[in-house]
Amino acid sequence: MSQMDANQPDAAGEAKLPRRDWVLLPVLSLFTIALISLSTEWTARRVFPQYPGNIYQCIVGGNTPDGTRGVPNSVCRGNRGDSPIEDYRLNSCGHRAGMECGPKPPGTYRIVLLGASFAIGEGVPMEKTLAAVLPADLSSRTGGKVDLYNEGMFSESPATIGSHFDQVTAAQPDMILWVLTPFDIKLETVVMSSAGSSPAAGKDDSPPREKLSVMGRIRRRLRVTIATRGIAETTSVLFHYYVGMYSNHLTSVVLLRHLLDRNQSQYVKSYLANPDAEFLNANPGAGWQSNLTRFGADYEQIEAQARAAGVPLVVVLIPNRAQAAMISMGKWPSGADPFRLDEDLRSIVSGRGGIYVDILPDFRDVPSAEQYFYMVNGHPDEHGNALLAGMLARALTSGAVPALGTGPRGPLEPR
Amino acid sequence: MDSASFQFVLFGLVVAAFSNFSQSRVWRSAVLFVASMVFLLLLAHDPRVLTAVAGFLALGYICLLLLQRGWSRLFVWIMVAVVLVYAWLKRYTFLPNGILPHGSFFLLGLSYILFRVLHLLVDSKDRGSRAPIGVGAYLLYMLNFNTFLSGPIQFYDDFARDQFALQPIPLGARVVGLQIERIIRGFFKVNVLATLLFAAQEDALQKIFQPLPLSLRLFAAFRLTVAYPFFLYANFSGYIDIVIASSRLMRVRLPENFDRPFSATSFLDFWNRWHMSLSNWVKTYVYNPLLMALMRHISSVALQPFLGVFCFFAAFFLVGIWHGRTSEFIFLGLLFGIGVSVNKLWQVTMARVLGRKGYRALAGNFLYSSSSRGLTFAWFALANFWFWADWRQIGSIFTALAPVQWLGVWVAIWLCATVILALWEWLRAALLAVKTSEGPVLVSRYARVVYASALGLAAVVMTILLNQPVPEVIYKKF
Repeated sequence: MSQMDANQPDAAGEAKLPRRDWVLLPVLSLFTIALISLSTEWTARRVFPQYPGNIYQCIVGGNTPDGTRGVPNSVCRGNRGDSPIEDYRLNSCGHRAGMECGPKPPGTYRIVLLGASFAIGEGVPMEKTLAAVLPADLSSRTGGKVDLYNEGMFSESPATIGSHFDQVTAAQPDMILWVLTPFDIKLETVVMSSAGSSPAAGKDDSPPREKLSVMGRIRRRLRVTIATRGIAETTSVLFHYYVGMYSNHLTSVVLLRHLLDRNQSQYVKSYLANPDAEFLNANPGAGWQSNLTRFGADYEQIEAQARAAGVPLVVVLIPNRAQAAMISMGKWPSGADPFRLDEDLRSIVSGRGGIYVDILPDFRDVPSAEQYFYMVNGHPDEHGNALLAGMLARALTSGAVPALGTGPRGPLEPR
Repeated sequence: MDSASFQFVLFGLVVAAFSNFSQSRVWRSAVLFVASMVFLLLLAHDPRVLTAVAGFLALGYICLLLLQRGWSRLFVWIMVAVVLVYAWLKRYTFLPNGILPHGSFFLLGLSYILFRVLHLLVDSKDRGSRAPIGVGAYLLYMLNFNTFLSGPIQFYDDFARDQFALQPIPLGARVVGLQIERIIRGFFKVNVLATLLFAAQEDALQKIFQPLPLSLRLFAAFRLTVAYPFFLYANFSGYIDIVIASSRLMRVRLPENFDRPFSATSFLDFWNRWHMSLSNWVKTYVYNPLLMALMRHISSVALQPFLGVFCFFAAFFLVGIWHGRTSEFIFLGLLFGIGVSVNKLWQVTMARVLGRKGYRALAGNFLYSSSSRGLTFAWFALANFWFWADWRQIGSIFTALAPVQWLGVWVAIWLCATVILALWEWLRAALLAVKTSEGPVLVSRYARVVYASALGLAAVVMTILLNQPVPEVIYKKF
């Protein structure tokens, strides 16, 4: 081995570059970059076609105290990220229920499903959603006739469910099943900061904010971020924020993320770097604790309405993709705890006399549980919906809800 | 600043630009010294933790002065003292716990400093006529930021010839272009390839313990074993690409450290292609002196070929031990040592049985060389478990499957490596056969610009994506 045969370019000598190469080589480089970028985007759009319209075209409301409402007898069509394009047909009450609204059929045990996009079955055909699969499973387990009326709605927040609880009681439920996700708890902040008129918002005793121009807001935010994180981290955060904001409009990014996020450990590692992963901390910060406090207040209100209607309210936490992956892996980095939110919610719900069913431990027995969710979109796919329905059916018939018993038995006793 | 990060590359380019403001050796040395100090401080954060490295450097220089002033009778004691102090600072587990140093020290780069110190000491003893090395040149050689963390191990004379040259080596547009292409290639290897391979390995490590069907767990064991050597290659050779190119832009040539190691058709050949500067050092300062010493004492001609077998074992056993301070690395050394010594023994035996010509013909046979290449890879992949895992992990990994299943996995790796690496060699040869009057098209500046642009784009996009937190459920406000 020679120590000095190292740099072959030297052996080639220092012949001058032909003049044409000073133009040709940069042009070749730009052409290569353009060709790769365009062909990747072209391929990505064929692999993951993006519906040009807004998936929210059939809902109104939003970040208001009344929350989101479906437009009666409308159809939403669309997709987000790597989920397929789906139709969301809403009935005359504005629900994706797969049936018309109105009184329940006689002799039927009716469950009304509440929640947001996980409940509505985003990215999944109507007949394969959790809402469609669960009643059939429950019927076969209990031997009775169970139906489920789905009042889940995109971006429905715990803070706004109480405002249209009359619709829940109008469906004559024997049980209300509230499907929660970590994002719903986070949504408390989104809705509160936009609406600012909920009971919980009134408890915010921070000083009123001065009115600032856009530049003024940016400058203030920059000052705060630099003060708390330092210049280097702020630059990095801003870089990733803006790159992320613009790159998310490219389907190539969806394709690359879809490929990268297939890898369980890589995905969990990247997810835990997300500020939204606060709920996976063994000791979440004050911001997240405040979300939980707000949720507790909202839950108490809804529970009171359910109790007044004489209907049991059952709450279940559906893990998000990263949480499911961590539980499935059976290990997680120190400082993280995928069960922490589960325990917090159980404590809130049970502490206020509600029923909390726990399906998170079941994910321990599901290898690669993250494969049941769309990699980029983050919602459960049709297999994920079926998996969740099975877990829920088991949990509901294990004694948590007395009316559903502890296994196969005689006809149910609807109200 | 992480090694091979974007910041590290930028740092190297900025220092190279400064270094080229003047061709004066004083200026270039001053720039290198300041840059190396800044680099060290950026790595260590707190100058106080550098006392161990500073002390070891001082010890090395004092020993060097002693030898340069004719105290060569102390040579053995000096060598023993330097190695023991190194082991003590590194807290080798074979040393009694009570005597180990306490407190937090910055020890990154110390292993490579050891090689450079030992090289200077041995050479000073052997070549007493060499001009004494001043403290400035000594520090510059030891702390050169390009080679500080992970080599390559450069000999002092080669360093001094380029660094202190009155007329530095030329640096024209063509060389600059080639170095930039190499930096991009290195950056891609470390930040994209190595990251993905490491994730694949971690994923396989998870899967092997999950309640999956046996076929999937066997496949996980396969991936777990195979991914790490490729990860290590992409990570280490990518870093080396960056520092060699960065150093060349400062008009200092560093030795190559990798030469397509997975093309090696024997374990001995592998070490001529993998971490070449380390194996070169080991051959120069361990293998050759040991062999000469044994040959002086054992005069039997029949035994002489087997002396090489023993010396190879000893040299590469030390290579394994050098990699870490725990007992796993002793086992790694055993596997490396067994690999090279059995390989040498095989060569000696086959040469005796078939004759030199017959053995050469056998080694040139396509099937033989392909399966040898596969076996070399499979052995290296197996040995790597003791490089990245501790005994507890190794125990749980190897008990996750039955011994016969592991044997099946290892044989499958051998066979797959045989076929895939042979195909790769064939493809490479076919591509390089496409030539113009200036040489193979694949290595022309036009082809290099195309793939450097492609790799650069991929590296930037993937680095951003891999470092950008995964977004929460896609949510658009409306």
